[in-house]
Amino acid sequence: MARVEFKDMIEFEKELVERHRIFAGLELEPLESYLGMDTRQALEIKKPMATGGYKAFRLKGSGKIDKIGYGELHYMRRAKYCSLNMTVSDDYDLPIFACEFDESSKRLSITVDFMPVVDVGVYPEYREKYLDVLSDVWRKYRTLPGLTEEGRCLVQRRYGPWPWARESLSPYPIDGRIPNPEDRYTVIEVVVAYARTWLKLLEEAQPIPEGDYKQEMITRKRAMQKYYRDLDPGGEVLKKVVGDEMEKVIVSLIF
Amino acid sequence: MSEQVTWAPYKEKLQELLEQLQAQELDQHSALADLRAGSTAISCRTWRSEQAEKIALGTIKTAEQQLGLCMIYPAAGCDLPVYVSRWQETQKQIVFLVDLVPTVDTLVDEAYRVKYIEPMGQSWDRFASLAGIWPEEDDGVRAVCSIIYTAARMPIERQGQRLAALSPHTEYLKSYADYARQAGTVVEKAKQAEIERRVRAIKATLRINAVKLIGPMAPEHTEGLLELFF
Repeated sequence: MARVEFKDMIEFEKELVERHRIFAGLELEPLESYLGMDTRQALEIKKPMATGGYKAFRLKGSGKIDKIGYGELHYMRRAKYCSLNMTVSDDYDLPIFACEFDESSKRLSITVDFMPVVDVGVYPEYREKYLDVLSDVWRKYRTLPGLTEEGRCLVQRRYGPWPWARESLSPYPIDGRIPNPEDRYTVIEVVVAYARTWLKLLEEAQPIPEGDYKQEMITRKRAMQKYYRDLDPGGEVLKKVVGDEMEKVIVSLIF
Repeated sequence: MSEQVTWAPYKEKLQELLEQLQAQELDQHSALADLRAGSTAISCRTWRSEQAEKIALGTIKTAEQQLGLCMIYPAAGCDLPVYVSRWQETQKQIVFLVDLVPTVDTLVDEAYRVKYIEPMGQSWDRFASLAGIWPEEDDGVRAVCSIIYTAARMPIERQGQRLAALSPHTEYLKSYADYARQAGTVVEKAKQAEIERRVRAIKATLRINAVKLIGPMAPEHTEGLLELFF
């Protein structure tokens, strides 16, 4: 299998923000503080083993967004760990947009999904409103080599060792390891398609009323955030590379 | 159809295992227990046990297809998951789904997940290597399934593959039988209400899916069969 040199790896942020202009028409303003932490320290990371940065934003004049965050960490000029995450404020019930895009010379590891903030087994109308819009894109791309092998489609398996992480996924995750270098840009297309769909849903989103549904939603969302902030296996590696404090900032911006 | 197909012993294999549940049969004389209508044969049985409000197992066979279903719903106040097995067998392919569908939100209720879902992880992993492993195609059904559901559209080239496709169904049912021996009682009212709500949602979703399968095979008996299974 062909390998991809570091210099040829995808410039994730540039691809999404400059080439595909996924945020065109939105007035993003920097989110300088989050959960009492100064997020500006994550803008530029220069450590012996890693360089990069994470940016966080809100929407100017709108209470819809809790945070939009994206960034890249380049590890020893061998690998890139990239992410794009978008979370709405607690007055809205949009799923969490989550994307991990991790490149090494051998493969691209991808997870992109709309993580539902309510139990979609109990609320089929939530699935119909926010998730079924992904159906066509999911069906089109789930057969990419790496997601499907020898007639077996194994989406939702990359998180195999972490049941709590699989629990957070929707019925439409694009999730797996892509071996073919030429498919890496195809995966960018998937990320762009998912992101544009989510941003369209955001445009139409209406606040949800106080009540049991909202409480259930907040309980599930907090449980999900706690899992990722406390247990994400990437967290321990990140601590070693950027230190405990910076890891806490980055992980909170992602989840 | 050019040749006679020997269907997989779906009902027989599952029934053997269901006997471990020490269940009492309901309505042995139901019209759907053993019914022949033209080239269609329907054979369904139901039971009840201390832990299960209803156990339903049955097949509908035509010359072209065998449809099998097995559902086990927990009794009121019991925290067991819902056993779901669906089997669509033709000469060339078997499309199936098997799961222990949780009766709570297993992202939030970690204890439930650790008790009933995570121990199934090894089986889930092992069956990932079966030919034709594929996500459940019905979006609604996939949304109610657990993180350890196994689904496939297995191409059939040899008779032995029919038995291989049965193996996740029997394996999950053995685990269910083990769980039934150590099932917990739910005393908290809020938890009972959560379970009842999710079981209702599971039944409604699976029923919609089943209409699409049963309807074309047994149009005159669809309502009766839906009533029996859901």
